[in-house]
Amino acid sequence: MSQFVQYVAIGLGNGATYAMLGLGLVVIFRSTGLLNFAQGEMAMFATFFVWKLHDLGLALWLALLVGIAGGFLLGVVTHQLVVRPVGDPHRHPLAVVIVTVGLFLAFNATASLIWGSGQQPLENLFGRSSVNLAGTAVSWQKIGTLVVLGGVALVFWLIFQKTKIGLAMRAVASNPESSALSGVPVTRVLMIGWGLAAAVGALAGTLTVPVSGAVDSNLMQLALVYSFAAITLGGFDSLLGAVVGGLAIGLVTDVLPRYVSAFEQMPLAPAFLLILLVLLVRPEGLFGRKAVVRP
Amino acid sequence: MSALAEHRRAVARTVTMVIVVAAVLVAVPYALPNDYWVDRVAGWIPLAVAALGLNLLTGYNGQISLGHGALYGTGAYATALILNHLGWPYLLAVVGSAVVCFVAGVLVGLPALRIKGLYLALVTLAVAVLFPQILEQFSSVTGGSAGLGITESALNHRGVVVEQSIRFDPPEGSGLSTAQWRYFFMVAVAVVCFVITRNIIHSRTGRAIVAIRDNETAAEVSGVDVARTKVLTFGVSASLAGVAGALFALFQATQPSRISSGSFTLLVSLYFLVAIVIGGPQSIIGPALGAIAIGVFRDVITPELPERVKTATPLILGALLIVSVLAAPGGIVGTVESVRARRRRSPATITPTPTTEEP
Repeated sequence: MSQFVQYVAIGLGNGATYAMLGLGLVVIFRSTGLLNFAQGEMAMFATFFVWKLHDLGLALWLALLVGIAGGFLLGVVTHQLVVRPVGDPHRHPLAVVIVTVGLFLAFNATASLIWGSGQQPLENLFGRSSVNLAGTAVSWQKIGTLVVLGGVALVFWLIFQKTKIGLAMRAVASNPESSALSGVPVTRVLMIGWGLAAAVGALAGTLTVPVSGAVDSNLMQLALVYSFAAITLGGFDSLLGAVVGGLAIGLVTDVLPRYVSAFEQMPLAPAFLLILLVLLVRPEGLFGRKAVVRP
Repeated sequence: MSALAEHRRAVARTVTMVIVVAAVLVAVPYALPNDYWVDRVAGWIPLAVAALGLNLLTGYNGQISLGHGALYGTGAYATALILNHLGWPYLLAVVGSAVVCFVAGVLVGLPALRIKGLYLALVTLAVAVLFPQILEQFSSVTGGSAGLGITESALNHRGVVVEQSIRFDPPEGSGLSTAQWRYFFMVAVAVVCFVITRNIIHSRTGRAIVAIRDNETAAEVSGVDVARTKVLTFGVSASLAGVAGALFALFQATQPSRISSGSFTLLVSLYFLVAIVIGGPQSIIGPALGAIAIGVFRDVITPELPERVKTATPLILGALLIVSVLAAPGGIVGTVESVRARRRRSPATITPTPTTEEP
């Protein structure tokens, strides 16, 4: 039983990082209708940035804050330079996939080019100690990650519901042309969306490091697929869906393989089956809005 | 110029091109300085065939797959298992892998009828990442990360039966080295694949495939069986990836080396996409050119780079990918064609065309 609780704690802790990455994916999807295949690599890149700052002597939390700001900038620049010229993702899905895959390769290689292809150790943001919860030792790292996820989700909710820029983002998401005509600065809104996505990636990356053990250029590849599974389950345009989906995927991929020997070496398999099932049966996910297509 | 003359010129151009390509393909293993380079160039062939398969699906039919690396891997393991357990001739093993992957492709193609565009890319990305995990899970069959070699029973010099790596022994009296013979085998299979694909594209089915990409509803209204065509395209595309994987497995095993879960990562699938985008989607020869471009990058340019920037190769490929989409959506083939079309058009604008004077 206590073993089970421990697995659940690990699952929720890991799920929280998928949820964070998923929040970034949802923000981009809502504003541009685009699945960002480079989201994980952008997060990895920003995490290297955090590591470097910390390595230079900055306190980890301070490095993280600067890293988040750096991530924001990275997202903004990426959108302006590369993503914007591609055009409407619904009309050119292939072009969008190719460009984000190009970004994937480019970020991955640039990270190894700048920081080497080795593994860089980074200490845990919440230390290594654990706390006794109902007879089970649960590490602060997992609890801290969950708390951070709560905070991030709250911030995102506040931005979208209570600020002017959030209103503009929702307007662009629902109809870019009309919102442009009514004076919403669409480009700036999309830019900020990409910035937010990359910024939350820095957070997700830094919190993933204790799980993977070190920062390297493959840090976020598996996490990217898990967070895609998360937003598929939750609904591509739902922030709540990303959080719930992320935690669910964390549970499925960490708890199931411990008990079902068929999944022992392939924790991705249950998540993959979930993606397939959701897309076939309920493509809008748990919390997403159903897309109505006029052929 | 009359239509007949135009047609004759087109035929002459095609014939010339076929002769030139054939001559180049035959000359390559003799022109290269040594067997090391023959092997490097032979190593590009599986990439070219896999990209050809992906191009049929993505370039012509508009279904995006980021998971062809998994089908490529399926072909490779199918060949290895066929040779290890059944001991078929190499060529038959390649065909067997094609059949296995055709079935796998149809199985993937069925859900793809409902999952489209970006979502299909997402699912196939998951397949690509999942595939190495599957190999690990079934490591008793696949060898997992330790790898799987291909062996055959043979008598050693003391007359004892031993398991040894399979080999590409050149035929007696051909004067070919092992590397050259292996190259010719792989090129021959690849040429067959390219010819078959070309014929599919130029057939009625080919026009249906393209019509579905351009407008699915319109294609359906015009009497195209959309579901059947899409699933079949997935199957054929997968079987080409399977042939590519089979060639890769034979190439690796006769080095002698092994295939392992590390040979079929997500990056492999992405490189197929890079090959078709750089070479030219929607052209037959484009994927081959893209594969050559990647091969030149990997085997010729990268080793020359200083140690520090060797890891930059994917960066260059990624940048090329983005630049191609933004600046040259037709890839190498499209760019060459548009340049040629512009050159052909420019003299015509200077001298007035005599079409109005013809009876």
